[in-house]
Amino acid sequence: MSPELRRRETVAGYLFLLPSLIFFVGFVVIPMVMCVVTSFFDATMDLNTPDKFIWFDNYIELWQDPVFLKGLTNTLIIVLVSVPFTCIFSLWVASAIYKMREGLLSFFRIVFYLPVVTGSVAVTVVWKWMYNNYYGIFNYVLKNTGIISKNINWLGNPQYALWCIILILLTTSVGQPIVLYVSALSNVDNSLVEAAEVDGATNTQVFWRIKWPQIMPTTLYILIITTINSFQCFALIQLLTSGGPNYATETVMYYIYYTAFKLYRFGYGNAMGVILAIFIGILSAVQFRLAREK
Amino acid sequence: MATVQLKNIKKVYPYISGEQKKSKKKDDQPQKKINLQITDEGVVAVQQFSLDIADKEFIVLVGPSGCGKSTTLRMVAGLEEITDGELLIDGKLVNDIPPKDRDIAMVFQNYALYPHMTVYENMAFSLKLRHVPKAEIDKKVREAAEILDITQYLNRKPKALSGGQRQRVAIGRAIVRAPKVMLMDEPLSNLDAKLRNEMRAEIIKLRKRIDTTFIYVTHDQTEAMTLGDRIVIMKDGYIQQIGTPQEVFNHPANLFVAGFIGMPVMNFFDAKLVREGSKYFVEVGGYRQELSPDKEERLLNHDVQSQEITLGVRPEHTDVNDEGVAARVDVAEMMGSSVHLHVNAEGHDVIIIVPTVDMKGNYEMGDTVHFSFDGKVAHVFSKETEKNLEF
Ligand SMILES: Nc1ncnc2c1ncn2[C@@H]1O[C@H](COP(=O)(O)OP(=O)(O)O)[C@@H](O)[C@H]1O
Ligand SMILES: [Mg+2]
Repeated sequence: MSPELRRRETVAGYLFLLPSLIFFVGFVVIPMVMCVVTSFFDATMDLNTPDKFIWFDNYIELWQDPVFLKGLTNTLIIVLVSVPFTCIFSLWVASAIYKMREGLLSFFRIVFYLPVVTGSVAVTVVWKWMYNNYYGIFNYVLKNTGIISKNINWLGNPQYALWCIILILLTTSVGQPIVLYVSALSNVDNSLVEAAEVDGATNTQVFWRIKWPQIMPTTLYILIITTINSFQCFALIQLLTSGGPNYATETVMYYIYYTAFKLYRFGYGNAMGVILAIFIGILSAVQFRLAREK
Repeated sequence: MATVQLKNIKKVYPYISGEQKKSKKKDDQPQKKINLQITDEGVVAVQQFSLDIADKEFIVLVGPSGCGKSTTLRMVAGLEEITDGELLIDGKLVNDIPPKDRDIAMVFQNYALYPHMTVYENMAFSLKLRHVPKAEIDKKVREAAEILDITQYLNRKPKALSGGQRQRVAIGRAIVRAPKVMLMDEPLSNLDAKLRNEMRAEIIKLRKRIDTTFIYVTHDQTEAMTLGDRIVIMKDGYIQQIGTPQEVFNHPANLFVAGFIGMPVMNFFDAKLVREGSKYFVEVGGYRQELSPDKEERLLNHDVQSQEITLGVRPEHTDVNDEGVAARVDVAEMMGSSVHLHVNAEGHDVIIIVPTVDMKGNYEMGDTVHFSFDGKVAHVFSKETEKNLEF
């Protein structure tokens, strides 16, 4: 290819990229940079007093802020419970249903995917009713079967609230992994499975030694998106508990929102955002490394 | 090392909901020449398949694409359920025994190497599953790798190998175990012509070394002829003929086998079979030839009468001379040691092979030549049933 031709092709290529590039830079890159920059200022909404550069004061304050620490603990609990559960549960469901005939398979796919496509607000409102202290179905069923003698205020009780949130999170987060696993499992080359059977492998061995390595990329993807989603658990908290009772359901994401948009401490909120991003980055890197080694 | 017996094996692929319509559409496509029987239960891919395979025999299943070769092989492997009939390995009924317990090995058409394992791990896999001690696994894998000349690739992943090398690994994976029966499904069909010839020779050598029962599937008659102790020729789910390469070449049971085995393809003519007492003659285009005594005897045994027939004569069995059937030359292909004359005789396109040393001058398009053939090599097929009348 002549240099002239190559130059023209390059220019054309960049022109095609331009719209999404502008969008990406304007709405992703610049805000990200600004987030990091403002985390070093005591930025507020107050336009009369200029923001002061305060070095790492925001970051130092974080680790002495009991609410942030509580939020971080809760977030980690959510991640540590929901990530393994989501992966294992969705793999289990997917391997149970992926060989079913088309109609049945579609049915299960719809059942598990419905909470994902239904608006999260609608889902949350339904759950809010189910958890209701007086009319909720949980209390109704548990009491009528004699398992509990007194209504439980699920979301109002610090002992249960976080687990109630996790339960909702799980129902909305297994849908996509199931669909992904179903397609990954049915994409495993059947002749590999047959070769393994002829080689003497039992069904269990076929699964763990042939199918599991083949669906590893999917597992990795699911691990990472679930991790990120769990870390960023926000809408549920906002709609159901606002972090209460007594910070029992406070998460980092909710606390960022609260600090920035209720207390107007943007610098402090952004510092938390940076810390959260670092946590997600580290965990994803670890997952990547582990998956690679296998 | 084992005998394999197939007794009246049948395979029906049941319709899956909605598939019936699809397969009907397929039949509308004119390029498909498969005429599998279709019943209410589904497509009958194989039927009336009976075959006794001796210990250490090399059996080749051959036939056009879609005739049910792979299905038969997969039933022996246990990968496909047997609809009807009995399958015995070493005298033991194995219809309901899963593949892992049949002690067979299989080489797949697409090799089916485990992509996440190295060549070594691929070959060691079956032994590991059987809890063979590590040292022994190592010895066996290296031995097999040595035989197949893939020792230097043992640490590579299949992705980093060429087609021919993958093929060797696939064979290596099958032989480390010294299986009772070795199954191969078109193992050479993904290789280029040169490599295919090399690997064919390798398989012949390999067979001498590992000495087990082989069932080998191919659509290539050359492979079938060169490899098989016996050949099973299949069409539309039915066995057409079982025999040694010599037998099926010299005594094709029907028109299909005659046309399928041999390269270039056998020439066919519309001819007449004339019986005079205990003598038989074929008449084609004014040329008359008496059949050989052994053929006459067989025809006599079946009390075959004079009739219109399809006459088959192989290109290498036709002689150019001054009498015989008249033919017009279309093309003369110089092949080195011989010339392939494409001629038109009695309304049929015919190929005559003339050894270069016998040639008198050159052949030009439009020339008229005459050819004849011996009574030993004339095959007479019924116009009605397409069967060889000698059978
Ligand atoms: N899983 C299947 N379901 C339905 N029909 C099949 C299936 N596998 C093969 N067939 C049909 O059975 C016939 C024989 O197939 P196969 O044994 O693969 O042929 P070959 O190996 O001789 O080319 C084909 O016509 C094919 O369409
Ligand atoms: Mg096949």
